[in-house]
Amino acid sequence: MHSLGCRLRRMNELSRAQIRDLMAQVLKNQDKELPADDAAQLREIGFRSLDFSELALRVEDETGEELNFDAPGLRRIATVGDVLDFLVELQHQ
Amino acid sequence: MSEPVDTQLVPPSSVVLVSGGSRGLGLAIVTDLLDAGVRVAAFARTITPELEKLAAEHPDRVHVGSVDVTDLRAAQSFVREVEQRLGPIDGIVNNAAMGQDSLHAHTATDDIARIIETNLTAPLQLTRLVIRRMLAKGLRGRIVNITSICGQRGFPGLVAYSATKGGMDAATRSLARELGGRMLVNSVAPGFFASEMSAVLGPTQLDQIVRRTPTGHLTEPVEVTPVVRMLLREHTNINGQVIVVDGAAAI
Repeated sequence: MHSLGCRLRRMNELSRAQIRDLMAQVLKNQDKELPADDAAQLREIGFRSLDFSELALRVEDETGEELNFDAPGLRRIATVGDVLDFLVELQHQ
Repeated sequence: MSEPVDTQLVPPSSVVLVSGGSRGLGLAIVTDLLDAGVRVAAFARTITPELEKLAAEHPDRVHVGSVDVTDLRAAQSFVREVEQRLGPIDGIVNNAAMGQDSLHAHTATDDIARIIETNLTAPLQLTRLVIRRMLAKGLRGRIVNITSICGQRGFPGLVAYSATKGGMDAATRSLARELGGRMLVNSVAPGFFASEMSAVLGPTQLDQIVRRTPTGHLTEPVEVTPVVRMLLREHTNINGQVIVVDGAAAI
């Protein structure tokens, strides 16, 4: 049962590119643009912590898996690449 | 509320039970009470070498045990051991608690339940257990609940934790009424510590709190222990209060 659960989760997993699309949507709703560069600073784009929450919840909606996490990891996130890495990694947990 | 007033004074506590006494503020409270000549029973999930050392230094005045505060049965047998070794308990410090560092939307529901069980249900049950024994013996005593500035001020990442601390502050007031002067019941609400559970706030948030604190520093356990000792030992008429120890950060 356990391995089946893991496999199902893997199947529902979103790729880095899919998460990037969702992130672009979150920003677009606020009339902001997601730069192509992964090194772009979140502070400059105006992507704040509640935007991160929104993005994580959108990923949850797509995969059907709850993504729970502590705040310290969140505080280390500074760039677009950090956001994508964090969410890709989180889906593996 | 219109029952006859009990004017007999509540004597200083002589045997004090401290939950979560193995590190941080709990360990500082145990150390301070021992220095004041009090007999102390301390339990924690894990007994640290520091607590072990205190027990070895004062074998006749300390009783320690490895008890998870949420395990009521274990707490019950610990209380019985304490009474046999040190005498009847006439003071409790509800200090054991778990921290939180996660936004409410992203906190697992199991974690919310665990925080409430550890920080609210368990201390209420432990208090019930001890006051039943005190009332049965006709003892008077003191109860000190260690809460937090989070019980009255908001901080992100600490939603469930704040709810438990505010809950204990509310329980403090109602218990003070209910116990009709037989026991003095108070909360001590520290601000954030630089160490231990305040790893719950990031360095940026802690810096911000320091900047807004008139005394210019985060709270240290040794700044809290004298207040706890006063509530357990001194003749005051303080009852049903929440005493904030935070350098006026929240004012």
